[in-house]
Amino acid sequence: MPNQPLDQFAARLPAEQRASVYQSTKGTHEKRTQLLFDQFADPDRLRQIAGEIKQHVVENLDTYLPAVEAKLRANGAQVHWAATGEEACAAVLRIMQARGARRMVKAKTMVSEEIGLAHYLEERGLEALETDLGEFIVQIDHDHPSHIVRPIIHKNRREIAASFEREGLGAYNDDPETITRRARQFLRHKYLQADVGLTGANFLSVESGRIVLVTNEGNSRFCLAATRCHIALIGIEKLVPRDRDLGLLLNLLGRSGTAQPLTVYTEFISGPRRPGQPDGPEEMHVVFVDNGRTDVLATECRDILRCIRCGACLNVCPVYRQASGHAYRSVYPGPVGAVLSPLLAQGNFAALADLPKASSLCGACNEVCPVNIPIPDLLLRLRAKGKEEGAPLASAGAPPMGAWALLASQPTAWKAALAGGKLLNYIPAKLLPVPALRAWESRRSLPEWRGGEFRRWLRARRRAAERKPAP
Amino acid sequence: MTAPAPRLRPAADRRVQLMATCICDAFYDDVAGATVEVLEHLGCTVDFPEGQTCCGQPAFNGGDWAASRRVVRHTVRTFAGDCPVVVPSGSCAAMLFHGAPLEFEREPDLPAVAALGRRTWELADFIVNGLGIRTWPGRYEARVAFHRSCHSRGTASGAASDLLLASIAGLQVLPFGEGEQCCGFGGTFSVTFPHVSTGMGTLKLDHIRAARPDVVVSGDMSCLMHLGGLAEKGGQPVRTQHLAQVLRDALRHGGLLPAASA
Amino acid sequence: MSSRDQILSRVRAALAPLPRRAPLPEWDRELVRVRQAQTAADPWIPFAARLRSVSGTPLTAVSDLVALLARSGWRRGYCDPVAWPALAPAFPRDFQVETAFDRTRVDDYQFGITVAAGAIAETGTLVLSDQVTSARLAALAPWVHVALLRREQIFPDITAAVTALPDDPNIIWCTGPSKTADVEGILIEGVHGPGVQVALLVG
Repeated sequence: MPNQPLDQFAARLPAEQRASVYQSTKGTHEKRTQLLFDQFADPDRLRQIAGEIKQHVVENLDTYLPAVEAKLRANGAQVHWAATGEEACAAVLRIMQARGARRMVKAKTMVSEEIGLAHYLEERGLEALETDLGEFIVQIDHDHPSHIVRPIIHKNRREIAASFEREGLGAYNDDPETITRRARQFLRHKYLQADVGLTGANFLSVESGRIVLVTNEGNSRFCLAATRCHIALIGIEKLVPRDRDLGLLLNLLGRSGTAQPLTVYTEFISGPRRPGQPDGPEEMHVVFVDNGRTDVLATECRDILRCIRCGACLNVCPVYRQASGHAYRSVYPGPVGAVLSPLLAQGNFAALADLPKASSLCGACNEVCPVNIPIPDLLLRLRAKGKEEGAPLASAGAPPMGAWALLASQPTAWKAALAGGKLLNYIPAKLLPVPALRAWESRRSLPEWRGGEFRRWLRARRRAAERKPAP
Repeated sequence: MTAPAPRLRPAADRRVQLMATCICDAFYDDVAGATVEVLEHLGCTVDFPEGQTCCGQPAFNGGDWAASRRVVRHTVRTFAGDCPVVVPSGSCAAMLFHGAPLEFEREPDLPAVAALGRRTWELADFIVNGLGIRTWPGRYEARVAFHRSCHSRGTASGAASDLLLASIAGLQVLPFGEGEQCCGFGGTFSVTFPHVSTGMGTLKLDHIRAARPDVVVSGDMSCLMHLGGLAEKGGQPVRTQHLAQVLRDALRHGGLLPAASA
Repeated sequence: MSSRDQILSRVRAALAPLPRRAPLPEWDRELVRVRQAQTAADPWIPFAARLRSVSGTPLTAVSDLVALLARSGWRRGYCDPVAWPALAPAFPRDFQVETAFDRTRVDDYQFGITVAAGAIAETGTLVLSDQVTSARLAALAPWVHVALLRREQIFPDITAAVTALPDDPNIIWCTGPSKTADVEGILIEGVHGPGVQVALLVG
């Protein structure tokens, strides 16, 4: 039976890697749950309201986007629009070229991963240095993040120490504190030499035009303290209507993502520095990125645009825990990625049409989502899309449902099949030309076929009851 | 996932229709039988529409919504009527009150599909919230690990099952690690993603075994078929029972039902 | 068509078929009221408790600050020029404190003392802003950051602080020392920002 690519990846994943992904996702998930339920009377109500706020934003982007653009301009920012990833990269390049800038320091932003910005700039001879510790390690290893919040969840300290040694960041030492100090020392001079600081945005308030950035390491703050030009790459769905809504969303984001009531740094940026300030960017650019989001907006899966990239659905997901992030072959792994990645792939939906199948539909992702995205329903919608479009990956290894439906809508045929199934008790499944049965039997025993026994029992019980007088 | 409100409540005659589920029709006749005995013990008149087949979930989950709708339409016709439909499966119940309306959202017969959803109850939910039963009589001497199936997330079934089990004399419910995690069955997922599915199942079995139960109980036979089959294939079988069987056996051991009926 | 017009027209086209738009919900701040939140007449008390719980260091006397710095041998630092005259008498002569932060010598500063624009009791957070805090780098690059805080600047919770954000191009909330758990999930403090975060109560 042709296995699904994600399943094959999971089968090849070293046990040690699976164990470390499991331990760390489980730990964060459990702390998250404890924190939310210990601290709030009704955390599920919180998630529901936050979801309603974000859904409202998604469904009103036509008015909110021009409104926030005007606010940003009034605050002194320059606003750029990029319909594709290529356009977004080109917009950043133009901003840098206009300033004669050669060196960029980058804070962690998923949208820059999505559009391949660092690679794009490096190809054109510019430096684009990742400063989040995990992303920095991903960059020096020419690797990819495997988790939205914890990019190197798939690496152990020995691999990291070897990479540092190779890059000339000191003799081999796999103590996490030493690794961190070496990165601190190396990167702080890079910030000070850089011309441009690039960040994403966790939220953007329409009311005030404030960009909200949350980090723990302080790297995005360093980007905005040391450089003279700030570029913010912002997906068009990142808006929130009012500043006060941030009170709700910030309370949920830290707890959901890293099990902290609040991340260490929460920065509110509403414009370039004012005259007289000794440090901070004198120029601020916002690049709004579509890159497939308007395609998503036009589908019944638009609810996924509520996502605030906390990673809670990855942490709780039993499939992610078995397979790790690279199994999803895309920037966004886990349940959110299984929905978002095939949709953002635009013309290439078929290439990722298996991802919506990579779920037991257990619903744990929806249960933890701080914006209450009905992820299982969206996965189901995408499965239907995969079937309608005839994407081969969407149906690899799956039993044919048409024949089954025919059987299950004709009681006579159904009863015959119930009787005929008894063959299974005599012929080993591995000899039957039914791949699904063989796949089942290779790992699990099949119970005895007792098709029709219940109906016989019930008829006998009814006859016996008729013979007995009613009590 | 939430059950629709308001749901159709049982009338004074407690007449219900039983949806036995395809998995019980094919493999687990004793579970369907136990469901009948439990409901009749509670004074219900149980109708069994003979034309029933399956709720349509396999094709729905498989993305073949046209095929699934065909089966759902058959189910809607088969379960015509105005009494509650009781099903010993959180998964099939959720298919009828949540899944089917989703795949029918653009279909003209959505109202009929949604109406069946409002009549449909998972067994434990029906006993506790439909009939108002809070404690279960009889006796059942066992240490039980209860696997709350994923399709009961967000519904009242999990709490209802906990309430019933905890009230049975002699029965001890054992907590175990990561109870909220999926067993890895997931329908066709179990055969299209065999490594991930069995990896999840093995983890679930490890947690369950650590609690040393006499029996693993669930409201969904599909989870138990996967877990039980995996344990048996691995040479360390575990005893599994549906909640309906536990309830029925408690009545039997308490002398409230004949030892074996029919 | 410009990219802007292209994106906005695609947004409009995507939303046009919706029979209705999801309304913006009103929500009660009671929803995010943290249970067992310490309420005290003096907001410094819950703030200090929360700051300690995120590995921060609340202090109430300049002499305690001097002792802390001296104990670890941190004698070179920066202080906001406005704040320094009041603090200077408490610092021994062997301290070298500059009132202008020279970005070419970031590694020369072991501590930075700046003035906070506010604080949040519920989370142990210090609020810094461009208008009030003299230098972004001075509050970030040195190993120790000391924020001078007055009692009346302390907000009870996130919601209160977020609805009172001042008109300032840059406001940052700092909740304890900078940290990471990127390497095997092990918590390390002092990544790019301070490893020691002090709140010193003044006034």
